Amino acid sequence: MNILISRLAQAATVALLVGAATFAMMRSLPGDAAWRIAAGRYGYDNVNTAAADAVREELGLGGHWFPAFMQWMGDLLRFDFGVSLVSGQPVIAEIGHQLGASLWLALAAIGLSLLIGPPLGILAGLRAGGWLDRGLLVVSTGVKAIPQFLMALILILILSVQLGWLPAAGYGAGRHFILPALALALGLAAVNARIARDAMASIAAMPFYQFAQWKGLSRRQVLWRHGLRNVSVPLLTYLGLQFVMLVEGVVVIESIVGWPGIGHALVHAVFARDVPMVQGTALMLGLGFVLVNALIDLAVARIDPRGAR
Amino acid sequence: MTLLQATDISVSDGATRLLDPVSLRLEPGEPLIILGETGSGKSLLAQAIMGTLPDSLDAAGQVSIGTRHLRAGADRAAFRRLWGREIAVLPQEPWLSLDPLMRAGAQVADAHRLVRGLPRAEARQQASADLAAFGLGGAAMASYPHELSGGMAQRVAIAAARAGGAPIVIADEPTKGLDAARRDDVAALLLGELGQGGGLMVITHDLALARMIGGRLIVLREGAVVETGMTADVFANPKAAYTRDLIAADPEHWPARETAASVGQTVLRAQGLTLSRRGQVLIEGLDLTLQRGRILGVTGPSGCGKSSLGDALLGLLPPDAGQVIRAPELAPTACQKLYQDPVAAFARKRSLGQSLADVARLHRASAGQIETLLARLRLDPALLVRRPDAVSGGELQRLALLRAMLARPRFLFADEPTSRLDPITQRDVIMMLAGFAREEGLSIALVSHDAALIAKVADDMQQFAQPRPDTAGLRDSGKTMVA
Repeated sequence: MNILISRLAQAATVALLVGAATFAMMRSLPGDAAWRIAAGRYGYDNVNTAAADAVREELGLGGHWFPAFMQWMGDLLRFDFGVSLVSGQPVIAEIGHQLGASLWLALAAIGLSLLIGPPLGILAGLRAGGWLDRGLLVVSTGVKAIPQFLMALILILILSVQLGWLPAAGYGAGRHFILPALALALGLAAVNARIARDAMASIAAMPFYQFAQWKGLSRRQVLWRHGLRNVSVPLLTYLGLQFVMLVEGVVVIESIVGWPGIGHALVHAVFARDVPMVQGTALMLGLGFVLVNALIDLAVARIDPRGAR
Repeated sequence: MTLLQATDISVSDGATRLLDPVSLRLEPGEPLIILGETGSGKSLLAQAIMGTLPDSLDAAGQVSIGTRHLRAGADRAAFRRLWGREIAVLPQEPWLSLDPLMRAGAQVADAHRLVRGLPRAEARQQASADLAAFGLGGAAMASYPHELSGGMAQRVAIAAARAGGAPIVIADEPTKGLDAARRDDVAALLLGELGQGGGLMVITHDLALARMIGGRLIVLREGAVVETGMTADVFANPKAAYTRDLIAADPEHWPARETAASVGQTVLRAQGLTLSRRGQVLIEGLDLTLQRGRILGVTGPSGCGKSSLGDALLGLLPPDAGQVIRAPELAPTACQKLYQDPVAAFARKRSLGQSLADVARLHRASAGQIETLLARLRLDPALLVRRPDAVSGGELQRLALLRAMLARPRFLFADEPTSRLDPITQRDVIMMLAGFAREEGLSIALVSHDAALIAKVADDMQQFAQPRPDTAGLRDSGKTMVA
């Protein structure tokens, strides 16, 4: 219960900060913002004073900043994100369309990273100091050091250009998923392999791990019944933090492979000074981060009852 | 029929022999006790028999269980198959031996299901019956280890270890750090396990536990067998000089001290003292007088506030209510503390001589004073060039006592100062401590979980009760997590 309350407060703070920041951006657009927005909306040929005034009236650009700010935040509170300055479509509809694409990409990336990282990390942790452990340290450090845009380019060069196995860009079919998801997953896996390795090594050295074997359980049964359960707690907790990395990655990777997702949309909105879109996407990413962490908190509380008060 | 026979078990670390060849037999219904102090090789012997020695050590000898003959230090996989099925190993620290994320019932049921191959529902029923047999009600099944008290955790761990149906039980230091009441409890549990003609092997340094378990006894010292025989006979009539010393060092056998002057001058006085830690009241409205030349024995189960009382008397913990009144002539450094773990109480990277010289300079004590105290505490001055980890625990605790005495204390709070020492060293340290009370008029508060020890040396007693069970579990869980 406490988890939900604190996460709700966090969500409200995120919304407030994003709202205030985008409002400030809106007010400080150079030139007559009303004219620019009206131009964006109706096309430069169709803009006249009446249209600009209508925009000014609608967005409260004329008067004092405070009532305008209150109205801006009020709209936000009613989940009214306004209309894209570029497409003229309601922001919420645009985001709803893009969010799905990004969500699938993010899920594919996380799923892939969990298939790659933790199994390797657990194997390395069970034989701490062995060849796999030492090799994994080198590889994961190396992979983590590669920026995501570079990783995507390397994969495109190898998998698309050289080998011709996968399309370099595009969206729609299942095979389009593999390359961007892999580019994201490798960076995530490099880190969660380390987390899993350290957790596994310390858990395997604990008395209860030895005791479980003394009860008569085989190595595999002990790993299955006690090892994975205990490793999952730090791993899950860390997954929440990795979400930040993932958001950052989504913005970069989507732009590189032309993925019609929320990161791609954010970059375009920034270039086009489409402030409502910037607000909408930033808010979605921020709230998504809070939501993911709330879910992880609940999951961890279920697995590990010790933290519960 | 012999349950287990070990022949010429020896353990070595490279070229260094840690345990000379030992042979033993475990008969049904007759417990076997391996008695020895830290470093005697008793745990190595047990580990070699169970097949749990670390890879870095070599073992030799043969272990026979039923029709199986295994080579100690080899046949690791074969030893593994014995665990749970032939040999049940009871853990040293039950709390740390239970998976913190799994309910107690499941940890017992696991062994029934995965080792004995019972179906899931039946395994659960059996686990529930096991716990009930130990007096643990239905709530224990669904409890997590941090919700159990130490005694409950111990029962769950025993039930889990025994679930595989092994006829032989090996318990390694089952009473480590327990107070007298819990120790008796564990002895009764272990003897109960023996009931149906099983085998029981107990590795311990605890004389009282050995006496309660009975059966046969093997006394080990520095990796060699000193004496063997029936436990009762050895205790009644020890043959080896070391065994005699060991038994005489048991606080039960200490000579009674002459009593101190009936009323001494008051050094410290506590009035209506109420103390709490992390919002929990530990001590309420306590009145206490510490007098010159007298020893106050402080006993009570762990977590009852003994150490907090010490901190309050030393002025380190502000009381919630009441006050600690120091005699007006007391210097600010006249109240000193002797810590439980001397290794942690010395700077690791400095030689002991340097550490002591620093303290002597601070308190303007002469170099001659260190020498006088060294002689008095029967310490070799050559130890001073060493670092804290290169001397024995008994030597280090005496050096810690020396260091405290350099400050010319009038009051010394000794917090379980001998709980990590073997019985002979414990007696020496306690007698030296008591000597300072008698001869220098030092007032001492001596904390111990050993009621017999306190009964022998203390002039006055302060006994704390068992904390309430509902709160005990919570506090103890905090401790486990720190560990």
